[in-house]
Amino acid sequence: MTYIVMECHKGYVILLDENGLFVKAADLHYQVGQTITDPVLMQNKRSSPRIAWRIVAPLAAIAACFLLFFGFGILQHNRNVYTSIYLAINPQVQMDLDRDGTVVGLTGINEDGRTLLDGYDGNGKDKIIVADELIDRAIDMGFLSEGGEISFSIDTPDIVLFQEYGIELRTNVTQHLDGRITVTIAITDCHQTEGENTLSSALSQAISPTPNRTQSPGSSAPIASIPPEGQEYQEDENEDKDEDDDDDENDD
Amino acid sequence: MNDEQKIIEQVYKAKINVEQADYLINDYLPFIRAETAKFLKRPPIEGHDDELSIAMIAFHEAIGGYTQTRGTFLKYAAMLIRSRLIDYHRREQRHRHVLSLDMPTGEDDAPLIHSLPDATDHIETVTQEATRAEIEELIRHLKEFGITLSDVADNCPKQQRTLSACRKAFYYAQSHGELLTELLKTKRLPLAALAAGSGVERKTLERHRTYMIALLLIGTNRYEIMRGHIKYVMKGEAVK
Repeated sequence: MTYIVMECHKGYVILLDENGLFVKAADLHYQVGQTITDPVLMQNKRSSPRIAWRIVAPLAAIAACFLLFFGFGILQHNRNVYTSIYLAINPQVQMDLDRDGTVVGLTGINEDGRTLLDGYDGNGKDKIIVADELIDRAIDMGFLSEGGEISFSIDTPDIVLFQEYGIELRTNVTQHLDGRITVTIAITDCHQTEGENTLSSALSQAISPTPNRTQSPGSSAPIASIPPEGQEYQEDENEDKDEDDDDDENDD
Repeated sequence: MNDEQKIIEQVYKAKINVEQADYLINDYLPFIRAETAKFLKRPPIEGHDDELSIAMIAFHEAIGGYTQTRGTFLKYAAMLIRSRLIDYHRREQRHRHVLSLDMPTGEDDAPLIHSLPDATDHIETVTQEATRAEIEELIRHLKEFGITLSDVADNCPKQQRTLSACRKAFYYAQSHGELLTELLKTKRLPLAALAAGSGVERKTLERHRTYMIALLLIGTNRYEIMRGHIKYVMKGEAVK
């Protein structure tokens, strides 16, 4: 192919090829108007990232759409209320949890419950932390005192989760109050009937949260012995270590 | 502002401005010479060593292809110069058996070209002069549209498909003289009429507006030599 030298610049020339294209080439001592063959053409640098981006962009868009639909769905799925724990001292509070046991909602069921929650935000916290903090607030506000009773009523479709939460709440709240005040902790399953509740109340168990008790508050024995659904666990916390031991033995 | 930032700023200006690119090449001519000397292992002689011209076009390529992700400009330019010089030498090695017209011959070391009969020299010179006059006319004509030949070269289609689309529009304009008249009269490319008549997307024509104007101007009756040069395009045939 022949080229006409159209313009000479410092370092390069502009050529017109037979296809009607204007190209830049090395100036090998050419003159304007000269017809040449075999020039050293300037190589057009096509940036590879641009090409890559052309391929990646649609894929990234599709991935983003998937993430938007499914990721949001998964997030929503996890954030949905899966379990509710009803905390009753005198104030009654409904604690809604997601599948991970994180608090996603707090509602005061009665007037005292609303007072207890006034100015408190437990969203995003673990259920145990929220339970401990609400109990502390109840003590500060005078709702809970020596010899009082804390009831956790767990509403969950999963019996294993009920057992797990029951053990966790009992163990941690007992430890949290250990050496401060003596209270009775009751853990019930919302799905059991009233008759079963009455029956299970009769079979309830009392333990003391003091450090010298013979039965560990963290022991899973009472919970593990619960028949599926409908049984209540009640732990009576006594100040006196000896009485505590006696009670445990009697229960056994 | 440090030196590197200053260079990068100059390079980015040179990317969009031909004059700035020429200034930059001029400013960095010692650097280009030094890089060529490294390759040749001797200082290059301006006007004699093709390697210096190759290094200069490589520097120009470096201006066009540089982005900040490629590191410092001068290192990038040096790398590109070296690569192009290697390519050039490989290419030249294939033509070693061909005698150069500049090679010294005889006892007085006169170039070979001086010993050849100059039967065609006069015709070539006349043709070259005529071509030069046509080119100067085209440059003046393009200037009326606010276009330079560098702009046209930068605006040429790079893909065969786009080139075919531009040619399709060109043939349509060739067969509809009123479009060329309108172009010369209004100094504006009749995009709507070209797109509607040729079936080429308006966006494609807009992107290559400068190139289309240059091609249509060459297609007018003023530029016989250039029309003859691109005769295959004028006839609707492509050259490989």
